[in-house]
Amino acid sequence: MKKLLILPAAFLFFSCEDVISIDVKEGKEQLVVDAWLTDEVREQRVTLTLSQPYFDQENPLPALGAEVYLIRQDSTRFRFNDYDNDGIYTYTPRNRYYLRMNEMVGLYIKYKEEEYYGLSELKRVPTIDSLKYQSITLPIKPEDSPKSGFLAQFFATDFAGEGDAYLVRSYKNDVLRTRSNEYTLSYDGGLSPGSKSDGMLFLQPIRMAINSGSGLFVDQDRVTVELHSIPLDAYYFLYQVQAETNNGGIFATPPANIPTNIFNRNPESAEKPLGLFFVSKVSRYAAVIDKNNLRPAD
Amino acid sequence: MKTLNKLFLLRTRLKEQSSCWFMRYISAFLFCFLLNPSFSQDTFTLSGTVKDASDGEALIGVNVYAREQKVGVSTNVYGFYSITLPKGTHTLVVSYVGYHKVEREVALNGNITLNLELKAEGNVLEEVVVTADREDHNVKSMEMSVNKVEMRTIKKMPALLGEVDVIRSIQFLPGVSSVGEGSSGFNVRGGAIDQNLVLLDEAPVYNSSHLMGFFSIFNPDVVKDVKLIKGGIPSVYGGRVSSILDVRMKEGNSKRTEFSGGIGTIFSRFTLEGPLVKEKGSFVVALRRSYIDILAKPFLKDDLKGVKFYFYDFTAKGNYRINDKNTVFLSGYFGRDLFGADFGFDWGNATTTFRWNHVFNNKLFLNTTLFYSNYNYSLDSDLKNENKEDVFRWNSNILNYSIKPDFTWYLNTRNTVTFGGQSILYNFNPGSALVVSGGEGQNIGLNSKKALESAVYIGNEQKITDRLTLNYGLRYSFYDYFGTRLAYIFDESAPAGERKPLLDTLVFSGNTSIQRYGYLEPRFSANISLNRSTSLKIGYNRLAQYIHLLSNTTASSPLDVWTPSTNNIKPQLSDQVALGIFKNFRNNMYETSVEVYFKTLQNQIDYIRNADLLLNPYVEGDLMYGKGRAYGAEFFVKKNKGSLNGWISYTLSRTERKVNGLNNNEWFLSRIDKLHNLSVVSIYDISKKWNVGATFSFMTGTPASFPTTKYIWQGISVPHNYSDERNTYRIPASHRLDLSATKKNKHALFGRGESEWVFSVYNVYNRRNPFSVYVRQNPDDPSKTEAVRYSVFASVLPSVTYNFKF
Repeated sequence: MKKLLILPAAFLFFSCEDVISIDVKEGKEQLVVDAWLTDEVREQRVTLTLSQPYFDQENPLPALGAEVYLIRQDSTRFRFNDYDNDGIYTYTPRNRYYLRMNEMVGLYIKYKEEEYYGLSELKRVPTIDSLKYQSITLPIKPEDSPKSGFLAQFFATDFAGEGDAYLVRSYKNDVLRTRSNEYTLSYDGGLSPGSKSDGMLFLQPIRMAINSGSGLFVDQDRVTVELHSIPLDAYYFLYQVQAETNNGGIFATPPANIPTNIFNRNPESAEKPLGLFFVSKVSRYAAVIDKNNLRPAD
Repeated sequence: MKTLNKLFLLRTRLKEQSSCWFMRYISAFLFCFLLNPSFSQDTFTLSGTVKDASDGEALIGVNVYAREQKVGVSTNVYGFYSITLPKGTHTLVVSYVGYHKVEREVALNGNITLNLELKAEGNVLEEVVVTADREDHNVKSMEMSVNKVEMRTIKKMPALLGEVDVIRSIQFLPGVSSVGEGSSGFNVRGGAIDQNLVLLDEAPVYNSSHLMGFFSIFNPDVVKDVKLIKGGIPSVYGGRVSSILDVRMKEGNSKRTEFSGGIGTIFSRFTLEGPLVKEKGSFVVALRRSYIDILAKPFLKDDLKGVKFYFYDFTAKGNYRINDKNTVFLSGYFGRDLFGADFGFDWGNATTTFRWNHVFNNKLFLNTTLFYSNYNYSLDSDLKNENKEDVFRWNSNILNYSIKPDFTWYLNTRNTVTFGGQSILYNFNPGSALVVSGGEGQNIGLNSKKALESAVYIGNEQKITDRLTLNYGLRYSFYDYFGTRLAYIFDESAPAGERKPLLDTLVFSGNTSIQRYGYLEPRFSANISLNRSTSLKIGYNRLAQYIHLLSNTTASSPLDVWTPSTNNIKPQLSDQVALGIFKNFRNNMYETSVEVYFKTLQNQIDYIRNADLLLNPYVEGDLMYGKGRAYGAEFFVKKNKGSLNGWISYTLSRTERKVNGLNNNEWFLSRIDKLHNLSVVSIYDISKKWNVGATFSFMTGTPASFPTTKYIWQGISVPHNYSDERNTYRIPASHRLDLSATKKNKHALFGRGESEWVFSVYNVYNRRNPFSVYVRQNPDDPSKTEAVRYSVFASVLPSVTYNFKF
């Protein structure tokens, strides 16, 4: 909505953005937990780093020597190991049932004598029924991509019952197409909890969101769509990540810290972690664009 | 028919609400001034209206002064005056800045009606020595914290892209600021933009801007009078807690038909005015439309051909004098902005106002206003309606019906009593939407809400001695929230700053009352005259506000939602004390004032992180309520006469907030805080042909929050503030110089009438004033982080406008 409003304003006026330098106070170093696990049989990662001054342009320091476990309700523990000593703790499941539907799962981290934990739950995800595409010619040729190509959209239907949250992203020839904070979030198949699209076919802006990123798809491109179910705390975290990292211009909102779902087991401790832990069930669909076999949406 | 039903509903609800204890206050009040000893036996009343001799416009605030008795009154907004004097012969001096003074001998042997006409000073240059007895209005009047800007001054001030703008011009006044160039609305003494009651011919305007704040909706060709009241607000006004901007439109030339207009960079304007029935009435119709879309059309190709991008406003007014005792006015305003190609959105105000002036007798004047106002906005995913499979359409509006009788009772020379009331029936439709996905449709949206806001008031301006005048009054406002089906109860024990969980939903039927509020709003001001040219003024007011604009962005957007007070959202309250000293120098050539104010605000709305304000039925669970305080000093010097005139204003102020759950529950700077705010406005009449104007402004940067640290999550640099503090930094200050030059031509088109060229340059020395400073990841290299200064107008903006009249 915000972008939409800026559009006509920029159309007419001579606004401008300059990179400037500002002095900010320094904060204290905090443990950062980056743990997004899926129910897929592939390497699962928990990345532990340390927060750094905002304008520090170096890579963040890894948090080394931690103990990381995923713990199921039946007390089964999966250990994540930092084999390369780079702060990336990994575990490769043998099958996709290491996470169970609608069951609470915990992440346990012990780092420098402090114990941290986070909880999440695997939620349902609908299957993607199909992927369609139509040819389009842009009025102006973009700088580094073709003028003519294809727009794709996927088709899936939200489950009946309110409160399903999703994340959508796409790959072009197996390269992640959406940039870091350009994933698309959906609530009940719509844009936000307010759109009340429960149980409907995913709304058009969500279905078309797989085109975001740079440039159109071209003939023989392999398009892969990932639809992730995400718990509500992850939905709000990811929503706010997008808001806080694109928060400029006339319609900026007051900057705010993003609440974490990782806690120190000792609530009195001064060591407060940052970041998010969540688990996703994934639906995947892939197709190769064939100009001789157009499948327009209508 | 529907309207009638609404009015009926309004009346029945009013009956339910009438409160007898208010009458006790009123009787105590009446007692207060009826004891006044200044009643004498042989007095008669002189009354009438004062108009402009050239076009018959009623003149507001004309001084009518009886020289021998040393008493005077001012005409009201309809040009009406009433003065009670002892039997005998009096010299009446009628004066108004910019008009020739009139002196008239009046033999008073009974009540007399005397209508007067004043002639405008032809050329200001020749009239530098005009001295009227009452040009010391600022010193002598009760008004404090009031600023009036003459329309002819506003028209000579440099304007953004040459478009003369009332709202931009008042931002040069002391105590007035905005969050940045190009933002909509204005802030008065630390008040939010929704705390200003903007009245257009007595009807409230909900969104006073076109194009998200770049231009105001008031067509300068038909604005007659602009008055901003920042403090000491009289009891006749209420409903917003910070200020009143009272804009009066012209009634139209009642002497001859006149066509005027202008061609500017953004708008073209046309106005037609003239007599309705000879000497009985007049009309004015005015239209403005932006035409950037028309100019751009030939250059747009293919897909962009269908781009819609325009805004317009249309004002139509008429008045008819039935007889000496009755005059009726009908006016309408319709404005709309529309943007879009395939996807579109539009919004606008429509108001219709009917007013009836009735003079009961020489001492009692009544104006009754009836108005209907509709502010609506809509979004449409597919304006051409080509794709019926996938649609998103959203409509939202606020409907108002109101009745407002205002009486003025010119009791005697020492007491002028005002009393009356108002009732506004609100119908909020926060959003009805249609979602169609894959051909399957769903009507969604929020329940509509109704509210009735009413008030009764009484006030008296009492001249105690020649040196002391008091204005005291009381307003009682009461409010009823009803007519919505569901009301929500939230868990107030939830941690402050987080979403409050829904505890219970209450179901209501019909027009059952859900929540009521009522507040007594005392008003008081005093003028202590220290000597002929100096006075000290004190003011106190309490104000209540029952409707609120939910907006969590730096500048308000047209899609921000107005919401009534509910069982969860409490009315906002403000208390303000102001103290000022007013002094004129060199025979009123210079007027100066220094005012200090202290204002406290209650029930100020703030928002939790992640607040979802659009189409969220549980939006009340995302709101927080805090306190506010604002204080400051305003310095003002104005030169009224001579070929060089203008003013300098400087405001030193502070605006703070305290909200549980924000900033460690401590006071923090509000985002509208401005420590220093300096404005210089100067206009120089070089010759009969040319005049030039220059304005300069300097403002402290707005407070800002920046992160201390960042952390990387899935490759994203997430900003984080370790101490979780808000607004501890300031962005750099803004300053800007604008210039204008007006060349008057003898003739307009076809050798008739008059015309002028207006040249203006905005942002002369090309400063990139920061609207905001924010941090982001570098778009090309997300691993790098940087700070960005965002400027709305980052270049010199020259423009030319041609105005004509014939």
